[in-house]
Amino acid sequence: MLRYLIKKTVTLVLLLFLVSITVFSVLFVLPGDPAQIILGINATPEVLANLRAELGLDRSFLGQYTDWIGNLLLGRSQQSIHYKMPVFELILGSLAVTGPMALIAMLFALVISLPLGIYAARHQNRPGDVTVMFGTQLGLATPEFWFGILLTLLFSVQLGWFSAGGFPGWNNDFWGSLKALLLPAFALGVIRASILTRLTRSSMLEVLREDYVRTARAKGLKERTVVYVHALRNALVPILTIMGLQLGQLLAGAIIIENVYFLPGLGRLVFNAIGQRDLPVVRDIVLFMAAAVVVVNFIVDLTYAALDPRIRLQ
Amino acid sequence: MKKFVFLLCVLALIVPAHWVFAATPQKGGSLTICVGDEPPGLDPTASASAAIDRVVYANIMEGLVKVDRNGQFVPGLATKWDVSPDGKVYTFHLRKGVTFHNAEPFNAQVAKWNLERAAAEDTKNAHPEFFRVIEKAETPDDNTLKLTLKDVDALFIVHMAEGDAVMLPMKGFENMAAEPIGTGPFKFAKWTRGDSVEMVRNEKYWNPRLPYLDKVTYRFIKDASAQVAALKAGDVDIIGWLLAPELAASIAKDKRFKVLAGASTSEVIMSTNNKAKPFDNKLVRQAIAYAIDRQAVIDLVMSGYGTIIGSHWPPVTPYYKDMTGLFPYDPEKAKKLLAQAGYPNGFEATIKLPAIYPYAQRAGEVIADMLGQVGIKLKVEVVEWGYWLDRVFKQKDFQLSMIGHAEAWDIGIYANPNYYFQYDSQEFRDAYAKALKAPNEAEKTKWFGRCQEIVAEDAVNGFLFLAPALSAMKADLMDWWKDYPTIAMDCTEVWWKK
Repeated sequence: MLRYLIKKTVTLVLLLFLVSITVFSVLFVLPGDPAQIILGINATPEVLANLRAELGLDRSFLGQYTDWIGNLLLGRSQQSIHYKMPVFELILGSLAVTGPMALIAMLFALVISLPLGIYAARHQNRPGDVTVMFGTQLGLATPEFWFGILLTLLFSVQLGWFSAGGFPGWNNDFWGSLKALLLPAFALGVIRASILTRLTRSSMLEVLREDYVRTARAKGLKERTVVYVHALRNALVPILTIMGLQLGQLLAGAIIIENVYFLPGLGRLVFNAIGQRDLPVVRDIVLFMAAAVVVVNFIVDLTYAALDPRIRLQ
Repeated sequence: MKKFVFLLCVLALIVPAHWVFAATPQKGGSLTICVGDEPPGLDPTASASAAIDRVVYANIMEGLVKVDRNGQFVPGLATKWDVSPDGKVYTFHLRKGVTFHNAEPFNAQVAKWNLERAAAEDTKNAHPEFFRVIEKAETPDDNTLKLTLKDVDALFIVHMAEGDAVMLPMKGFENMAAEPIGTGPFKFAKWTRGDSVEMVRNEKYWNPRLPYLDKVTYRFIKDASAQVAALKAGDVDIIGWLLAPELAASIAKDKRFKVLAGASTSEVIMSTNNKAKPFDNKLVRQAIAYAIDRQAVIDLVMSGYGTIIGSHWPPVTPYYKDMTGLFPYDPEKAKKLLAQAGYPNGFEATIKLPAIYPYAQRAGEVIADMLGQVGIKLKVEVVEWGYWLDRVFKQKDFQLSMIGHAEAWDIGIYANPNYYFQYDSQEFRDAYAKALKAPNEAEKTKWFGRCQEIVAEDAVNGFLFLAPALSAMKADLMDWWKDYPTIAMDCTEVWWKK
C-alpha cells in the first residue's frame, strides 16, 4: 500500500512537471498580448511597454517560468491580471461552485443510471430494456447546453421555480446556493447517466452470467440479494472507473453549462481567462485540473480494492 | 371641445393621484443590471476597456466634465469652465465640499495630481496623449484649476469627459482596480469574481437629490439566450446591452418588459487593409462600397435595429456630416468599377472575423454573400480575440475584417498611417490638424465635416452601421438612458416606479 502511494505521488509530480512545461510553452507562443487586451486597441506603444514591464511580460521564457514555478513551490500565489487578486483564492472560490455541482451531477447520474441499468439488464431485449436503451441513445445525442437552456425555459421562465442562473454564495444563502446548482447539475447528470446506464446494463449482463451468480441462485438466495448484493458489487468496478473519469471531466469541463447558468465556476473562470490572456490563472488552473484527475483516479483505485478483495494495490 | 374638457375632468377625478405624479422620481429600491463582459479590473485610468467604463464611469467615479444622456458636455466635478480667447487656457471652477468615498476631500491639488499622473513617464493610462497637451497646471486656490495647453485642442473637453480622466483620491489609489474609490453617486461594495459587482448609494453625494436607487448590481452574463432567460425569470431587472437583437421583439411584446432602442457611438465597419492588394486600389474599395446593401445588413444582422453610416462618425455626436448617400447600393456600378480597376472577373480575398462579437460574424457572412454577387469571393475565417489583436490589429496581417469602433471622437485614427487600416493620406492629416486647432464652432463643423468626407470618398473602410444601444428592462424601471452617447451605463437618475 505504501509503495503504491509513493509510486502514485512520484507519477503525480512528474506529470505536473510535464504539464507545467507544456502549458507554459503553449501560452508563451500563443498570439495575443495580455497588456494589449487590457489597454485596448488605441493604446500607445509606450504605455503598452510600461504595462508589460509591470506584469513581468518583458522577461525571458526561462525567467518567467522559474518565477512561476518558484512561487508555486513556495506556496505563493501569483496575481490574476484580470481580477487583481491571488489566483489561489480565485480557484478556491470557483471550486466552491464547481465541486459541489460536479458531485451533485454525479449523484443524479448514479441515482438515474443504476436502477435503470439493472432493470434493463434483468429485462434484456424486452420492451422495458428497449425503452431504456432508446432513452440513453437520446441522452447521448442531446447537447448539454441545449438541454440546459430547455430546463431553464421550463423551470425558470415558465414555472418560475428556479432562478435562471447565478450563484448567491454559500455564506449568503446556503439553500439558495444549493438550489442554484440543482438545474445545472441535473443537466450535466442526465447526459452522464446515459453513458452509465448503458455501462451498468452491459456490466450486469456479464456478471449475471457468471458461475458464482448461478451458485448463489442455486443455494436458494432471494433474487433481490443475488442481484443487488452479489452481482452489483462486482459489476461496479468498471462503472466506478468511468465515474472517476467523468468526475475529473466535470471539474474541468462544465464550461458550457457554467456559461448557460452564468455560474462563477472553474470552467467559466478558465474559459474567460484564456480569452483575456490572464496567463497566471490559466496556468494554475490547468495544473490544478491535471492534479485533480490524477487524485480522483487514485481514489477510484482505492475503492477497487475495497469492492473486490482480489484486487491488490501494488 | 366641451365634451373633451368634460372627459378630461372626469378622468382627473377617477385617475389615482400617483398616476398623475408618476413622473416624479421616487427613491429607493435596488437594480440588477445584466452586461456581457466582466471588466478587467475596475480602474478606468488603467485600461481602455469599455467593460470597465460601463460599470464604473459616472456611477463610482467621475471626472471634471460629464456627458449627459443627450451627448452634451455638462458639469461634473467642475461646475463650469472658462476658455481663454486664444483657446489655450482652461480655467475649471471646481465643485466645493466634494469628498471621495474614503472621506478624502476633492480639491484643485487632487485634480492637478490626477492629470499629472496620467501624463507621467511611467503612466499606465491608455491615453496619456489626452493629458500631455497640458503644459502647465496651476491651482490659484482650492477650487480653481488653471490649465495652460501647449496648443489649441478642440477635443480637450471631450477627453476630460472620458473614463481615462476620472478623478482618483491621492491616498489609497493603488488598489483602484480591485476596490475603486471615487466621488460618484454609488460606493463600491463588492466584486464577486466571475459573477457580479455591487455598489451602494453614496449618502454624501454632492448632489443631495441623487441617486434614487439604494443599490446597483452588475451581473456578467455572456450568453445571449441566458441573458434573456435571466430577465424573464426575474434574476436581473435590465439587460443593458442586448446581445441578441433578434430577441428584442419578443421581449417588447411581453407586457412586463420594455425595450429601448437608441443610438450608441460604436461604428461597425468592415475594416480594410489599405496596403494589402487589391484593397490598396481606391476603385476596388469604392466598388465594395457600392456592392453593400447597408439596410439589408442592418435587417439581417441586427433585426433592423441600428443606423446606416457613410463615414466614421456617430450621428449622435456633434459635427456629424451625413455621407450615407455617397455610395448607394448599386451592384452594376460595383462591377463596372471592378472592371475599371482591372478585375473584370472579380477576385478572391479573406475576411477575418473576431469570434467574441456575434454581430461581426453575422455581418461578415452577409457581406460575403453580397460581395459574391459582384464577383468578389470572400473566404470567411473566424478568429479568437487574442489572435485578432495580435495578427490583425498589431501585425496587420489581414485583408478585410469586421469590428465595432466603440469610442466616439476617434476619427483621428485615420491620421495614423500605422493604424491597422494602414490608410495614408496627407489630405486627411491636414484636415484633421485644422479641425483640432479650430478656434470656433463654425470651423470645427467645417473641418470635422471635411474629415468625414475624405474617409468616405476614399472608402477607407466599409462603413456599415451604428450599433444600436439596445436595452431591455422591466416596465417599471424609469429614466434609463435610451441612447449611449458615451461608453457608460449611468444609473444616477434611474428610479423605480412603485
